[in-house]
Amino acid sequence: MIEIDNISKRYGTFQVLTECSTNVAKGEVVVVCGPSGSGKSTLVKTINGLEPIDTGDIRVDGQSVGGRRTNLSQLRSKVGMVFQNFELFPHLSVLENLTIAQIKVLKRDKDDATDRGLKYLERVGLKLHAEKYPGQLSGGQQQRAAIARALCMDPICMLFDEPTSALDPEMVSEVLDVMVQLASEGTTMMCVTHEMGFARKVADRVIFMDHGRILEDTSKEEFFGNVAARTDRAKQFLGRILHH
Amino acid sequence: MSNTYKWDWGIFLQPVSTGEPANYLDWLLAGLQNTVILALSSSVIALFLGVAMGILRCAPNRWLASIGAIYVAFFRNVPVIVQLFAWYFVVPEILPTSMGTWIKQLPSMTQMMVLSTMCLGLYMAARVCEHIRAGLSTLPRGQLLAATALGLTLSQGYRYVLLPVALRVAIPPLTSELINVFKNSAVVSTIGLLDLSAQSQQLAEYTGQPYESFLAATLIYIVINWIVMIVMHRVERRVQLHGYLGSK
Repeated sequence: MIEIDNISKRYGTFQVLTECSTNVAKGEVVVVCGPSGSGKSTLVKTINGLEPIDTGDIRVDGQSVGGRRTNLSQLRSKVGMVFQNFELFPHLSVLENLTIAQIKVLKRDKDDATDRGLKYLERVGLKLHAEKYPGQLSGGQQQRAAIARALCMDPICMLFDEPTSALDPEMVSEVLDVMVQLASEGTTMMCVTHEMGFARKVADRVIFMDHGRILEDTSKEEFFGNVAARTDRAKQFLGRILHH
Repeated sequence: MSNTYKWDWGIFLQPVSTGEPANYLDWLLAGLQNTVILALSSSVIALFLGVAMGILRCAPNRWLASIGAIYVAFFRNVPVIVQLFAWYFVVPEILPTSMGTWIKQLPSMTQMMVLSTMCLGLYMAARVCEHIRAGLSTLPRGQLLAATALGLTLSQGYRYVLLPVALRVAIPPLTSELINVFKNSAVVSTIGLLDLSAQSQQLAEYTGQPYESFLAATLIYIVINWIVMIVMHRVERRVQLHGYLGSK
């Protein structure tokens, strides 16, 4: 589904990504973790072309993201993305947030878009809040609405960029619950997250990054079960975050 | 003089001494009409051109961004009275001959009105441009990323996501600009356009009652801008974003 082939990227003299390669198969859930500044957010943003790459190739559903003939808007509309800061549009109601891209990008008519929007709002438990504005919702509710907004587009895969990092602790679980449910339904997912509980529960694979390189790319069982075989950097990272 | 000054508020209803079938209040109202037409039409130009330039200034392409920057540098940094003289005395001469002739054959009031509207509109557009740029730059970068991630194109992202919010953020400074244009429009009296301020000067000269004349003009300017403030405040309240910048 997603094939990342030897990509590198630099901002000026700062190398953000160095020769990263990995794949995400259909229905697979891959968790990307690592210390801040390790390039994990940048990595997921390259998949839908929000961050251009300098070298290498990325293919989503067989289409090259940087390809000359690729219609990037169309490709992006098939890849759902959830951001750390939700990024709902503040001037639109929750429902309008869910319908705008369906109408403008997928050319669905308004009724159809509204029906789907309400369906997904119901799935994330926000149907009663459809007419409210994002600023009237809690962080957890906003993030669930943002997930619903991505799902409305019938994405072939979902990218999550630290979806719970900006949330109050008590709201983390309501968002994770939605993500766990998606995973259990066979959604192809790539998640940058520090929630190791989530990783243990639903991930098929774990990728560990540091300084722009993929240091570990292994099954969940291997990553958490066989700590002795991990790289020193991964051991250190796990040691720090699993203590609590 | 103030000791012996004879106040006479009745002058406004006296017939004018030029023999026209009008009283002095009619002169003031005619001036008011010119001021309002001039201010509103140049505001419309300023809004559209200013928004366009504001978008250009924020464009990812350096060449496009520099078009906006040059525009602002040119129109914001030259005194508006100098720009007005340039429009009135220079522009009709340097335009292609056919356009120049077309402008020169217009009735002189229309000609002054057209050139003054262009002048104020283009001057104010440079200021609107900066307010739009400020509005756009207060938006989190993630908003455009989220819009493009949904498949919206760059122009759709601006149209449906960034601009509606940036314009709301820019309403208070744009209100100031609208008030400014009503006041700045008084500069057109220097080329002979009979706006509210020019008519009040005329009134003072014809009647010999400068206090009443200028007080009346002052009062009218205050009332106009008071109305502008009320209307814009309503607009602001009406479109305000819940739980966002500046909302209550």
